[in-house]
Amino acid sequence: MEAINYVGEHLWAGYIGNAFVVLSFIAALTASVFYYLSTKDKAYYKTARLSFLIHSLSVVGIAATLFVMLFNHYFEYQYVFQHSNTSMDMKYILSCFWEGQEGSFLLWTFWNVVLGLFLKKQLDTEWEAPVMMVFALVQVFLASMILGIYLGEYKIGSNPFLLLREHPETKMAPFLQNANYLAKLDGRGLNPLLMNYWMTIHPPTLFLGFASTLLPFAFAIAALWNKQYTAWQRIALPYTYFGILVLGIGILMGGAWAYEALSFGGFWAWDPVENSSLVPWLVLVAAGHTMLINKNKGGSVFTTHLLAIAAFLLVLYSTFLTRSGILGNASVHAFTDLGMQGQLVIYVLTFVFITVALLVQDSLIKTSYIVGSLLLLSFAIFFNFKRYALFIWIPASVGLTIFSYLRYFPKEKKEEELYSREFWLFLGSLVLLLSGLIITYFTSIPVSNKLFDMKQAPLKVGDYNVWMIPFSIVMLVLMASAQFLKYKHNERSVFFKKLRYSFFAALVFGFVCAIPLYFLRDFSEASNGLERWNLISYALLLVCGFFAVFSNAEYWLNILKGKILKSGASIAHIGFALILIGALISTSKKVTLSKNTSDKKVESLGKGFDGQKSILLTQGDTLPMGPYFVSFREKKRIGIDVYFKVEYYKLNEKNKPVIDFVLNPRIQDNPRMGKAPEPDTKHYLGKDVYTHITAADLNTNKPDAAKKSAYNEPKNYVGHVGDTIFASNAFVIIESIQTNLSQEEYSKNDSLLVVTAVLSCVDAQSNVYKVYPQYVIKKNVVIPKEAIEEKLGLKFAFWKINPDEGTLEITMSEHVRNAKDFIVMEAYVFPFINVLWLGCLIMAFGTGIAIVEQVRLNRLKQQKAAA
Amino acid sequence: MKKLHIVGIIIIAVAIGVIFSSLKNTTTYANFDEAMANPGKEFHVVGKLNKDMPQLYEPTVNPDEFKFTMLDNNGLSKNVVLHKSKPQDFDKSEQLVLIGQIHGEEFHANDILMKCPSKYNDAKSQLNQVQ
Repeated sequence: MEAINYVGEHLWAGYIGNAFVVLSFIAALTASVFYYLSTKDKAYYKTARLSFLIHSLSVVGIAATLFVMLFNHYFEYQYVFQHSNTSMDMKYILSCFWEGQEGSFLLWTFWNVVLGLFLKKQLDTEWEAPVMMVFALVQVFLASMILGIYLGEYKIGSNPFLLLREHPETKMAPFLQNANYLAKLDGRGLNPLLMNYWMTIHPPTLFLGFASTLLPFAFAIAALWNKQYTAWQRIALPYTYFGILVLGIGILMGGAWAYEALSFGGFWAWDPVENSSLVPWLVLVAAGHTMLINKNKGGSVFTTHLLAIAAFLLVLYSTFLTRSGILGNASVHAFTDLGMQGQLVIYVLTFVFITVALLVQDSLIKTSYIVGSLLLLSFAIFFNFKRYALFIWIPASVGLTIFSYLRYFPKEKKEEELYSREFWLFLGSLVLLLSGLIITYFTSIPVSNKLFDMKQAPLKVGDYNVWMIPFSIVMLVLMASAQFLKYKHNERSVFFKKLRYSFFAALVFGFVCAIPLYFLRDFSEASNGLERWNLISYALLLVCGFFAVFSNAEYWLNILKGKILKSGASIAHIGFALILIGALISTSKKVTLSKNTSDKKVESLGKGFDGQKSILLTQGDTLPMGPYFVSFREKKRIGIDVYFKVEYYKLNEKNKPVIDFVLNPRIQDNPRMGKAPEPDTKHYLGKDVYTHITAADLNTNKPDAAKKSAYNEPKNYVGHVGDTIFASNAFVIIESIQTNLSQEEYSKNDSLLVVTAVLSCVDAQSNVYKVYPQYVIKKNVVIPKEAIEEKLGLKFAFWKINPDEGTLEITMSEHVRNAKDFIVMEAYVFPFINVLWLGCLIMAFGTGIAIVEQVRLNRLKQQKAAA
Repeated sequence: MKKLHIVGIIIIAVAIGVIFSSLKNTTTYANFDEAMANPGKEFHVVGKLNKDMPQLYEPTVNPDEFKFTMLDNNGLSKNVVLHKSKPQDFDKSEQLVLIGQIHGEEFHANDILMKCPSKYNDAKSQLNQVQ
């Protein structure tokens, strides 16, 4: 085949981009090797630092090149073609950048570089080498994710600088035979569902959160390397809090996005993607608390290492879950499988391997673990032994971890006292870890199905809630009380005395709220023991939530005397308690306004079928719905969105309906994603009224002039005299049948037989219109004579009599103007959801203060040491 | 370390409880024949829309009822009553997952998951439109 001389391609961009990709990979590799050498000999520092700097610049270079390509619409590149187009607003260019897998890996790599460069400056040489070695090693793996090279048949990474004519998905497209194909090519553009500000702020925040789990991880691994288990914890504490803050905000932003713009019908759906970013956060919070123990009192050494390492490994595991395609149908976040499953598994396992290999200190055991792992790996690859290799390797690694804990880590001589802050903090961390592990276990059902050939279905949202409520209750109690304990020894009576006010206040206030919420009606209506138990657990959660809020407020105001710098923990705890209270009330007391008004009842089918929740609104009609009257007024198309104007009325004092508010839920008629409903919500201080459309005709064109006089397809009705036919605007009664001749006269005279059906059409205002369709027989030929009721737009034809059955058949067709538009809608009230959002802000604020305070304390300590 | 031992035992107990309850309670993926053998028990059934059979959605009668026919992965065809409104883009779906149970002759689903033609990677179809 003759080579084609393509016109107008900007091949230089790809060359530059790929040069940076390769350079960033090699420089990261060099940096990790030289940082490793630096742990032995300080002479290597220079090369190591230079390599990391080159790596950093290359990552910035990759990002800059990709931006230039997106900005200038170089559609010859597959990534640009797939994620942008010329008509798109440039404010979405960031969203295009990280819409694809390659771009989001790049974003993550970029944040690691930023954090790495910052951290490098803060460390002394003893820590810099091992910490940055870990950083560089992680960067090797991340940089490989966008390499896009083949080793034999194994593909490593997916490259964002592939041309359309190189990309396996697109290279066969026939138009690429045209040398001038670029002249008329436009990109596919950003998925319209993602064209909002959330897509600009949520991914970078979440990925910065992911990236910041690397900070405590790198410290913990460096500590294992240096065999200094305590010194790092004080230094890493503010970084860990930073991770808690940013990852927490990123997750909650995802929830807010889902609530505001997507039609999940809530802010949290326990989706695998949500879960797998929540779990690292829970574990990171646990790590932050055990670090506090270690810093203030000593101990919890192994636990802190385990938690700090686990948080990062869980981020890797989350990457594997969400990007390998293993979730299949279990998630709404459909990342496509880029064929990187194997690579992602190796990525996760490598870091588990490194952790275990460093934990073990006996060189014989260490060597056998390393050799054994490599042997298993080669068996797995060459003899298709993957599953069994994992079954051997994972228990061996877990076993060695426990062994190392027993053998090498310092143990406390004395048992911790029951009434001591360290014990309660430790307990809280374990509860956080355990809840995280349970969520991980349930989220991993698709993985265990694959490993063990099972067919378990994913867990339902309600089941997650049932599992997590007891954990939340324990967490809230610990959060409420642990601060009132000092480290080491406490008198029990003093402790209870300090807590009593907030405890009794919470008890009173909690039950005052819980009784109308859960016991006045719901408890007696509950059909079984489980439901009653659930209601009791809600009440308990509410009481404990208030307990945590009150006692932390009291601690802040009374014990800390309202000093803001010391109050980070108290404020963050108040925020977290408010999040749980808001989540509890808005979920458990979510009201379905749009109760199905049809008379079909399906409760008999059992649990899960009681959720009949759609209402049909015909244009112009007004229906009662909950405390409101609702009316669907009109629909309007703006771009690809079709807006439905829904008016909510309330009765005024004179019992006349007045407009309360108007909502405009829409359906996005999205050429790429299909039809996506976007809700609209009326926000009040105490509740939200949430509405979304589930079914509607999106055609907004008026019936055209040619069809204006037309009637729709006739429908046939078989019936007797006295039956009723339902039209859209009237009901039609078959009053009687009249014949002009008797049977004898007809057979005698060979004349016309006319049978007339007398129909009464009764419209909504009870006006009666008579119509007379006729059935004419002449010489055994039947000629039906149509009758039209102009005002109602109804046309009838009487065309058959079945003497044997005694029935007659009439067709009815309706005028096109009768076809009224309708929507099927769901509407909910989320009470007190603002408590949740307020809690988010308060928690972020409190965590921020805690970071500032820990940084300040570390500085003070450094100054003291210097003096 | 007595107290910590107690805590450890509680944690292990909870973990075992979680594993057992999940093995016992969660529903499983199945085909129609297994669902028919256990009427009233909930299953997830994976299959395809049977496009040769009629669909019935009459929101004026009941907006929460949609009837259609699905072929499971063994090719067995079954009438389905979905107790929800008809999902958007239902006819474009490539794969369906029904969550529900057999009652009488029909499969009653209280929820449905749809897989539509690869949401992100249909570059090919777009490319064909270019010409």
